[in-house]
This record gives sequence, structure tokens and C-alpha cells, in this order.
Amino acid sequence: MSATAEEVSDDALLVLYANGDGRAAAELTARLSPRVFGVAMRVMGIRAEAEDVTQEAMLRLWKMAPEWRPGEAQVFTWLYRVAMNLCIDRKRRARGGHVDLDAVPEPPDPARSAAEALQEGARLDALQAALMQLPERQRQAVVLRHLEELSNPEIAGIMDISVEAVESLTARGKRALAAALAGRREELGYSDG
Amino acid sequence: MADTDKALQELDDLFAAARREPPAVPHHLNAAILADAARAQAGFPAAAPARAARQPLWRQLIEAIGGWPAIGGFAAASAAGLWIGMAPPSFVPDPLALAGYEDSSTALPDDSYDMAVMLSGDLQ
Repeated sequence: MSATAEEVSDDALLVLYANGDGRAAAELTARLSPRVFGVAMRVMGIRAEAEDVTQEAMLRLWKMAPEWRPGEAQVFTWLYRVAMNLCIDRKRRARGGHVDLDAVPEPPDPARSAAEALQEGARLDALQAALMQLPERQRQAVVLRHLEELSNPEIAGIMDISVEAVESLTARGKRALAAALAGRREELGYSDG
Repeated sequence: MADTDKALQELDDLFAAARREPPAVPHHLNAAILADAARAQAGFPAAAPARAARQPLWRQLIEAIGGWPAIGGFAAASAAGLWIGMAPPSFVPDPLALAGYEDSSTALPDDSYDMAVMLSGDLQ
């Protein structure tokens, strides 16, 4: 690679990887795995599951690289789409085993003291717990919109729904989150002032 | 209404805080991803020079018999063969005779007319 890695697009890196460039894989992993892991972690709520989804999504990216057509789609959009589908598949399988992961949000860390609960970490735990109470598609839409900061058309492409449906999902999801967190305002250190 | 706005504002603040602290990718996960990448890459066909554009069948046939010069020779030979077949030079044996066909003027026996008259008399 003659240009610095930052100047090379994901598209070009994927083509380089398909042509045998080993450094391209390292650069793509550094760019993409945090994004996929982040979104999988927010959607699955369980670290081990998020790791499996991330590894599987990246593996599919590697295998698909020789067939990738540069310019037709964005690599990260394709990857998010794969990751979201993997999350849905895993949730379905888990429900088949009579465990509804949606109904089992990660419990707040019991080791935290009341003082620590005021800290940002506790609020983030509360956000994650509230996210896990949302219906799956709402959670995906909210995570992609408000945590990954993707545009509504991008989310529509990833989730294979209309932009209007994305807007509806995110609006309902946000209202439900606000309602879920409202009951914990005091616990989370929000004052009424 | 004010409560709702406040709750949504707090939620936006929470989203911003969550964006500042994305979940960190464990080192072992990145190592596994890179190992997968190396394995997948090892299975790819050697760097794509062999991927020549696919040619139509007629072009493949032409190349199989030697390209356009061969096509020129082939056409000349075909034309000469046709010409010789239709108007053979005097020193070339008649291809019809060689094939076993004979001129009707020489093929009929001398007494064929008499034979026909005799047969027709019998019929009457």
C-alpha cells in the first residue's frame, strides 16, 4: 500500500485483501471490528454473544471479499446488515431454547455502591438494561441511530425497511427508553431541578 | 410535557455518554478475527491474473484453429475446392465419374429402345 492506511477506503482495502495483501486485513479489522462489536454488544447485551457475532460477521466479510464489487455498497453498511441478521438469528435460536434474552436484561452490577450508582457507568448500565427491554427491531433501530449515529436511509438499508419505518421505530424506542429510565431517575442521580 | 422533554433530553445526554465509551474489543477477539482473515485469504485463487475476460464461443473456436490467418487460408481452400468441383480443369478426372455416376448417353445399352418396344407389345 503506497498511500497511508487512513487514505485508503474500506472498499479499496477489501480489494487489496482479496488480492493477498495481509496488511489490509489488519487495517480493516482495526476499523470495522470496534463498530461491529459495539453494535452487537448493545443489541445482544451479552459480551460472549457479541464476540461470536462480531467474529462471524467479519469471517463472512473475509469470505465474500473476492466477490466484492467496489462502489456498489459501503463495506460497513454491509457488515452491519450481516451483524444485525446474526443477532436476530441468535435471539431466535435462544427463544427456541425457551430463554427469551430480551426479557433478561443484564442485571446492574450488585457490587456498585449507592455512591457509584450516581456515576456515569451506572447510568450506562441502566441504559443498556432499558435497551434490552425494547422489542428487537426497535432496539436495533435505536442503537444504529443514536449510538452508531447512522442516517435513517442507511438504517433502512441495513434493516431492509422503509425510512418511515425507521423513523417510527426510533421514535417509539426512544419514548419507551425515556419511560423506562424515568422510574430510575433518583437511583441514577438525576435531580428534579 | 416538560417532564417528557426533560426525560428525552436526559436520554440524549445518556446516548452521548454511551458514544464516548464504546465497548472495547477484547484483544483475543481481534486475534481470532485476524486468524480467520489469514485462513480465508490462503484459500483464495492466486491473485487474479488468470481472470481473463470470458470470450464468446466463436472467438474461442477461431483461436483454437490458429486465429484470423488460419481463417483466411481456410476460406481460400474452401473456395478453390468448390470451384474445382463445379468446373474441373481438363487434367482433373470428372468427380461425377469417380463417384460412380455416368452420363446417360453412355449408360443406356444400344438395344434399350428395342427392348422397350418389345415389352410394350407384350402388354397390349
